[in-house]
Amino acid sequence: MEKYILLVEDNLDDEALTLRALRKNNIANKVVVTRDGVEALDFLFAMGAFAERDPTDLPEVVLLDLKLPKLHGLEVLQRIRGNAGTRILPVVILTTSSEDRDLVESYRLGANSYIRKPVDFDQFMEAIRNLGMYWLVLNQSANGSGGGR
Amino acid sequence: MTRLVNHSGGDPAQNLISLIDLPILNGLPTLDVQMTGVEHRKPGAVAWTLAAVAGAVVATGLAFAAVSAYVTGRAEDNIRNVLLTHRGLHRYIQEVMHPTFFKAQGEQKVALDYYDPIIFSSSHIVRVMHGFYNEERVKEGRPPIYYKIASDNPRNPLNKATPMESGLLRMFNEDKSKREYRQEVQVDGKPFLLHAMPFLETGQACLRCHGRRQDAPLGLQALYSGDGGFNEQAGVIRAVEIIRAPLSDERQAAFLATGAFLGGLLGLMALILFNTRLRSLVRDRTLALEGEVQERLRAETEVRDLNRSLEQRVEERTTQLQSANRELDAFSYSVSHDLRAPLRAIDGFSRALEEDCGAKLNEQEIDYLKRIRRGCGRMGDLIEDLLKLSRSARREIEPRDLDLSQLVEEIAHELREGAPGSKAEFTIQLGLRGRGDAALIRSVLENLLGNAFKFSSKAPAPRIEFGSMSLDGRRTFYVRDNGVGFDMAYADKLFGAFQRLHTTEEFPGTGIGLATVQRILQRHGGTIRAESMPGQGSTFIFTLGGD
Repeated sequence: MEKYILLVEDNLDDEALTLRALRKNNIANKVVVTRDGVEALDFLFAMGAFAERDPTDLPEVVLLDLKLPKLHGLEVLQRIRGNAGTRILPVVILTTSSEDRDLVESYRLGANSYIRKPVDFDQFMEAIRNLGMYWLVLNQSANGSGGGR
Repeated sequence: MTRLVNHSGGDPAQNLISLIDLPILNGLPTLDVQMTGVEHRKPGAVAWTLAAVAGAVVATGLAFAAVSAYVTGRAEDNIRNVLLTHRGLHRYIQEVMHPTFFKAQGEQKVALDYYDPIIFSSSHIVRVMHGFYNEERVKEGRPPIYYKIASDNPRNPLNKATPMESGLLRMFNEDKSKREYRQEVQVDGKPFLLHAMPFLETGQACLRCHGRRQDAPLGLQALYSGDGGFNEQAGVIRAVEIIRAPLSDERQAAFLATGAFLGGLLGLMALILFNTRLRSLVRDRTLALEGEVQERLRAETEVRDLNRSLEQRVEERTTQLQSANRELDAFSYSVSHDLRAPLRAIDGFSRALEEDCGAKLNEQEIDYLKRIRRGCGRMGDLIEDLLKLSRSARREIEPRDLDLSQLVEEIAHELREGAPGSKAEFTIQLGLRGRGDAALIRSVLENLLGNAFKFSSKAPAPRIEFGSMSLDGRRTFYVRDNGVGFDMAYADKLFGAFQRLHTTEEFPGTGIGLATVQRILQRHGGTIRAESMPGQGSTFIFTLGGD
């Protein structure tokens, strides 16, 4: 199965910038984008519009925004961790929020990493580069499909 | 009271009369009035006092009169007893001794012309006997009683009547029905009770010795050379019996007794008066206290009500504040998230444009893109600082003991790392500790040191100092630099949000840092102020609350 990234992002600008940053950092993996919390969960749990999908085909990493329509990112995270199939799925919070409680709450609910989206695109690029390097290249994923180039 | 003193020495009856005129009875009913109102107490008390004193005086007068009568009665009894005894003696002499003597003369056992007053003269015998009586009295510590058979024509000059006794003798002779006379007299300033009685009316038998001198027994004639006791006429009261008993001691006792009685009575009355006043005072005081208690209860109720309404208001206000805080929270969260997203888009796509089309753009066009991105950066900083300011106001303070020197050390390290070319030299006093919220106090020090670092960056040898000193007994901390400084005329603007004393081109910044610092210190109960002169560097002096 192809290694891919699930990006949960409602902001089209941020989506474009994230994709550009990934591309610029030579991360060529496929990126699946969902626009809100419900859609993200439907995708992961193969429900609703994604009922035909194989629920075991999980992304290498989920880049999860917090401020999302319908379902807040923290609730999405909670549901991911509450589901046996996705309990150990790497989830990186990628958000504009610099509120301490978001950070604390994210880690409490089992986020693997917390990245603030900086205003400065150069810093953003740097953050994405580090993220891709760690989660897609260096990290040995638990389901055995990750790791190595 | 003055009246009482004036009258106490006088006639009790006189006292009584003078007091009856006083409005005692009018005063009495006011006793009840006195109890009902403070305004009536004074006249009531006066009337009552007058009534009480009058009562005491009347009672004392009556007591004195009673004691006097008793004393006088006793003196009279004494006198009467003495008189009766003496009269008995007279009678014994006249009715037993004289006939025995005459009988003995008739039987020629005694010479016809024999006469000796020792066995014949009753006045002589009684006088002598009375002398013995008085001696006995004096032995018993009693005053002697004056006794005399006074006559205008006495055989013995000792019996010669005084002018007063002569007067009495005359009186009895003029009114034979008068059997006695009694009078209180003063002798040498002492009171006596004088009792006088006609002693003897001369009869025919008496004339034997009291008639013509030549008819009297020769012994008698020989014994009395003068005419005293002779030439009496029958039917004339020849002598008056005078007896005078002292009253002074008994009077003294009466005075003492009634004085003590009056004193006791007045004392009792004073006690009653005092007691009444005391009771009325206690009653008034009790009423006042009850009023006070009522007043207190009322005040307490008021305070309680006020407290309740205050609590309610506080609760309402708290709810409002909480709601406002929640709104502010939501607002800053939204600002944090939504305001930055478009900025990121502007910055990101400008960068993309620069990267993708850089080759096609001229220098000026590239400069425009750079300006767009710089603007984005400044706005990003501004938003970040605003959020910090907002957080500094909302965040719950968790005070802890902090190693301030250590914190400053860390911040200085970070600042030097962030500007590798800097020649800034930090002087940090070691071991300074303070109490405060770790994150917020760190923010304070970051701002102050960051400012010092920034504003001294253009100095030839930047120097930044952190230390502590005591000002007016308070422990203060200071951050000093040798940077550009500022004009103290603008000192009041220093801590306002968005207030800047330099252009962004000179020194970058948002103008929110010191506002945040001040707010944090205020929330800790501390203060901050600055001292500076343009070109002379600045010193920021602050205190943490609780020191």
